[in-house]
Amino acid sequence: MKKIIVAFLSLNLLLLASNQERDLQAVFIGRLAQFVQWNHPKEHLFRITIIGNNPFGDLLNRLYKKKKIDGKSVEIQYITRLEEIGQTDILFVALENQQEIQKVILYAIKNSILTIGTQRGFAQRGGIVQLSFVMQKPHLVINHKTAQYSNIKIQAPLLAIAQEIIKGDE
Amino acid sequence: MQTKKYLFLSLLATQLLYPAPKTTPQSEKYYHKSLEELLATETELKADIGSRSGERDTMYSDVPIDVITTQQIHLSGSLELSEILQKYIAGFNYPSASIKDGTDHSKPFTLRGLNPDQVLVLINGKRLHQSSLIHVNNSIGRGSSSVDLNTIPVASIERIEILRDGAAAQYGSDAIAGVINVILKGYGHKNRISTTYAQTHEGDGKTKQTDIFYSTPLPYDGFINITAEFRDNQKTNRAGADLRDLYAQGDPRNALANPITMHYGDPEAQNILLALNSEMIAQNGTTFYAHGIFNKRESEAGAIFRLPIEDRNNPTLYPDGFLPHIAPKILDYSLSLGIKDRLQNGIKWDLSYTNGYNNFHFYVHNSLNDSLGDSSPTSFDSGGTSYRQQVINLDLSKNLELLTLAGGIEYRKEHYTIYKGEPDSYRLGEFSNNAGAQGFPGFLPSNEVDAHRENVGLYIDAKFNPRPNLTLEVASRFEHYSDFGNTFDGKFSALYKPTQSLMFHGSLNTGFRAPSLSQSYFTSTTTEYVVNGLNQIGSFGVDSPVARDLGAVKLKPEISQHYTFGFVYQPISNLSLSADYFYNAIDDRILLTGNISGSISPQVQAILDSYNVTKARYFTNAIGTQTDGVDVRLNYHHKFDNNLLLKTNLAYHYNNTQITQINTAPSILGAAGEGILIDTLTKERITSGQPKHILSLYTQLTQGDWALAFNLKRFGGYASVLGEDLYRFDAKWVSDVEFSYQINARFNLSIGAKNLFDVYPDRWGDTGSDFYSTQGSLPYPPESPFGYNGRSYHICIEGRF
Repeated sequence: MKKIIVAFLSLNLLLLASNQERDLQAVFIGRLAQFVQWNHPKEHLFRITIIGNNPFGDLLNRLYKKKKIDGKSVEIQYITRLEEIGQTDILFVALENQQEIQKVILYAIKNSILTIGTQRGFAQRGGIVQLSFVMQKPHLVINHKTAQYSNIKIQAPLLAIAQEIIKGDE
Repeated sequence: MQTKKYLFLSLLATQLLYPAPKTTPQSEKYYHKSLEELLATETELKADIGSRSGERDTMYSDVPIDVITTQQIHLSGSLELSEILQKYIAGFNYPSASIKDGTDHSKPFTLRGLNPDQVLVLINGKRLHQSSLIHVNNSIGRGSSSVDLNTIPVASIERIEILRDGAAAQYGSDAIAGVINVILKGYGHKNRISTTYAQTHEGDGKTKQTDIFYSTPLPYDGFINITAEFRDNQKTNRAGADLRDLYAQGDPRNALANPITMHYGDPEAQNILLALNSEMIAQNGTTFYAHGIFNKRESEAGAIFRLPIEDRNNPTLYPDGFLPHIAPKILDYSLSLGIKDRLQNGIKWDLSYTNGYNNFHFYVHNSLNDSLGDSSPTSFDSGGTSYRQQVINLDLSKNLELLTLAGGIEYRKEHYTIYKGEPDSYRLGEFSNNAGAQGFPGFLPSNEVDAHRENVGLYIDAKFNPRPNLTLEVASRFEHYSDFGNTFDGKFSALYKPTQSLMFHGSLNTGFRAPSLSQSYFTSTTTEYVVNGLNQIGSFGVDSPVARDLGAVKLKPEISQHYTFGFVYQPISNLSLSADYFYNAIDDRILLTGNISGSISPQVQAILDSYNVTKARYFTNAIGTQTDGVDVRLNYHHKFDNNLLLKTNLAYHYNNTQITQINTAPSILGAAGEGILIDTLTKERITSGQPKHILSLYTQLTQGDWALAFNLKRFGGYASVLGEDLYRFDAKWVSDVEFSYQINARFNLSIGAKNLFDVYPDRWGDTGSDFYSTQGSLPYPPESPFGYNGRSYHICIEGRF
C-alpha cells in the first residue's frame, strides 16, 4: 500500500506549478543566442555562465542537456567571482551589488561576452541584454552600442522585437 | 484490508479524474516558441504584501492574496477605485450612502463584513492616512473614520493587491480585516490620455472625465510618472414623491400631485486628482523615490427636505419649503519620500517619510438659520475637520540561504483638529429655538479640537524555507502609543506543498486597532433654549467633563485574534481552485453610544443640568464580535487555436458576524446602559446589514484587437431596521459588460454598461413611514451594496503617445 501512495505522490510531483518568470529567463538565454554572432575563436562547446546567486537551480542543466546552440553542445557553469569567468559565450549576471555588476560588464565587453541581466538599468550600465518583466510580460532591452563595442553582432530579427534599443553606430 | 482497498480505489479515481498531463516541463514548451510568442507570454501574478521578503507568486503564498491587474482595471469601466474593488473582490462591500451628511461625499467601504477602519490601505507599501470625517449617521461603518480610496486616480494604478488576512504583527494598527496595497504605475508604462462619458439609463448622473498619464524616463530605468484626472459627476436621484402635506391644512396646493422634494442618490461632485510616482536611480544603485496623491473635491448633496409648514422653515425665505444642500470641500493629499539601497553585506534598507493630510470643510447652501429670522443668510461655512499623519519608517531585510530576516522601526505622529464654522452657522438667534444652519449646523467654538498622538513601532519578520515545499514565517510587532500605552502582536504562518499541484497554507495571528483620534475627540453640538438658558445637544469627546461624568473613559484599542487556513489545488496549469476559512474575534469594538438624556435617571439629569447639556453621546469600547467565513476561488484560462484567450474567475465569499459580548455599561446609566451602548439598529447593522453571501463570475475574452469582459455578481440578502422593526432585502444579481477595441496603434475605444439588466434593490415595503417605504420619498434601503441608480452606460476613447 505504501508503494501505491508513494507512486501516486510521485506522479503528482511531476505536475506543473513552475516559476514562469524563471522558466522564461532560462529559455531566453538559449533562444537569444540563436540571433547573436560572436567574433571570438570557435570552441567546441557553447558555454553559458551564471555569476552570482544562481536563480535557476538545475533548470538550465535539464533544459540544455540535449540541446545544441550554434551547432555545439551546451555547458553550464556556475560561479560567484569575476576571476572565475574564463572563456564563455553568455554571462548571465545574477549579482545584486552594482559595483560588482559594473566590473563584470567591463570584463565581458573586453572579452566579447554576451551579458544578460534582469536588474533595472542593466542595459544602460553596459549590459547587452536586459530581460525584466513589466505587467506580467517579458520586457527586452538591448544595448546595441555595447554589443558593437564587444564585437558581438545582433541580428535584425532580435533587434526588431526588443521593446527598447540603446542604439550604436548604424 | 478493506480500508486499504478503499484508499487504493480513491487514489485511482483521483488519478483518473485528474490525469497527470504529459510531463513536458514548461520551460521545454517555451523553448519551442517563437521570440514574439515568448515576449507575449503572461507570467504568474506577483504581489508584495503580507511578507517583507519581497514579491512572491500570489498563487503560492502562505496567506490568501488577490490581485487586480492593469487589464482588469482597464476593463472595469469604473472611474473610482472603490467601484473597481467591489467589482472584482467578492468580500469587498461599498454600499450606497445618501442623506448621511459627510458620508455621502466620502463613502465608507468594508472588507469581509467588518468595519471600514479595520482595513489598512497602503500605497506602494506605505501607510495611507484615513479621512478626518467620522461617519456618525446611520450608515454602514457608523462610528469609524475610513480611508477614502477614491482620492487615488485610477489611471495611475498598475495593480491592486488585497491581503485577506490580519497583519497587524507586520503593519501595525488597522490590519484586521485585511490590507489593500495600491501599486502605482512604475517602469515601462506607455503615455496615455483618455476621455470618458457616462450616464444612467434614467438620464441623470452624467459624468465626464479626462485623464492623462505621462511618464518621463530617467537614467538606469528610473522614471517620473504623473497622472492627472478631471472628473465632473452630475447627481443621480431616485427619491419618490413626498407623501406629506407640504402646506397648512386646507391649503389647496396640498391637492396637487405630490412633488419630489428629496435628493436620494449620488452627489454632484467635481474632482481634480493627481498622482506622482518617481524613482531616481544613482550610478551606484541607490534609489531615491517619491510617490504621492492629491485630490480636491467639491461635492453637493441634499439633506432632509424642510416643509413650508415646519417650524424649522422661514416662509418668508422659502415659501415652498427648502432642501438644504450639504456641500463639503475636501482636500486630501499624501506624499512619500524615500531612499533605498543594499549594503555590501547584502542587507537591504529602505528609509522613508510619509505625510498624509485630509481636510473636510463643510459648507451648506440653500439653507437658513431659522433663529436669525428673515435676515438669515442662506449659505454657511460650517467649519470642518482635518487629520494629518506623518510616518518615518526604516525597513531592513536580508536574504540568507534558507532564511529571510526583516525588521524595522516606525514612528508615526497624528494630528486631528475640528475647526469652528462662521458664527451664523451655529449661533442661536432670538427668533426661534432652531440654532444653526439647517442641514449641517456649524461646529461651535466650544467644539474645536486640536489633538495629537505619537507612536513608535518595532517589528521583526523571519521567513524560513527548511525544505523546498515548506515555508514557515513568524512576525512580531511592538508598539507604544502616547495615549493608551503598548501593544504586542505576533503572527505565525506556514505553507506546505505535498505535491506540486496542491498547497496548504494557514496563519495564526493577533492584531489591534488603535482608537482613532476622531473617535476619542469628536465633538459636535447644537444649541437650544431651555427654561434656564442655553443648552447643548450632541457628541462629546471622551475626555470632556460631561462625558466623563456620564461614564466615558479613555478609549482602549480594539484587540483581535485571527486564524485562516486553506488550500490551493492546481490540477492543470490553466485551472486552479482555492478555498480558505477565516476567523476573526475582536474585543472592545468602539461604538458611538445612543443619546443619553435626563429621562434615564435623576442622577443623569443632574449631571446634564450641571453642564447645560440636554442630550449627550460619546464613543466607547462597547462590544466583542466574532466573524468567520470562507473564500473560494476558481480560476481558469484557455487559449484557443484561433488565439482567442478566455479568462474566467468564479469567486464565492461568505461571512458571518456575531456579537459575543456587550461590555458592562457605566453604572451611572443604570438599567438603560446596555441599550445605550448598542441599540437594535446598530446590532443589526453589524450582524446583518451587509450581504453574507457574495458570488461573482468574471469572464474575459481577448483576441487580437478586441476584448470583452462580463462580470456577474450576486449580492446576498441583508437587513435594515426602521424603528424597532427588522426589514430584510433579497439577494440580487447584477451584471456589468465592457467591450474594448484597439482601433489602431494609438487609439482604443471602450463601451460598456454597468448593471446591464437595470436591477434595483427591493423597496422597503409598507412600513407606514413617509420616508422609508415603497411609496415613500426614500424607497430603497440605504445599505444597498450596489446602490440604486439602475443601469448606466459609458464610452471611453483612449490615445497612446
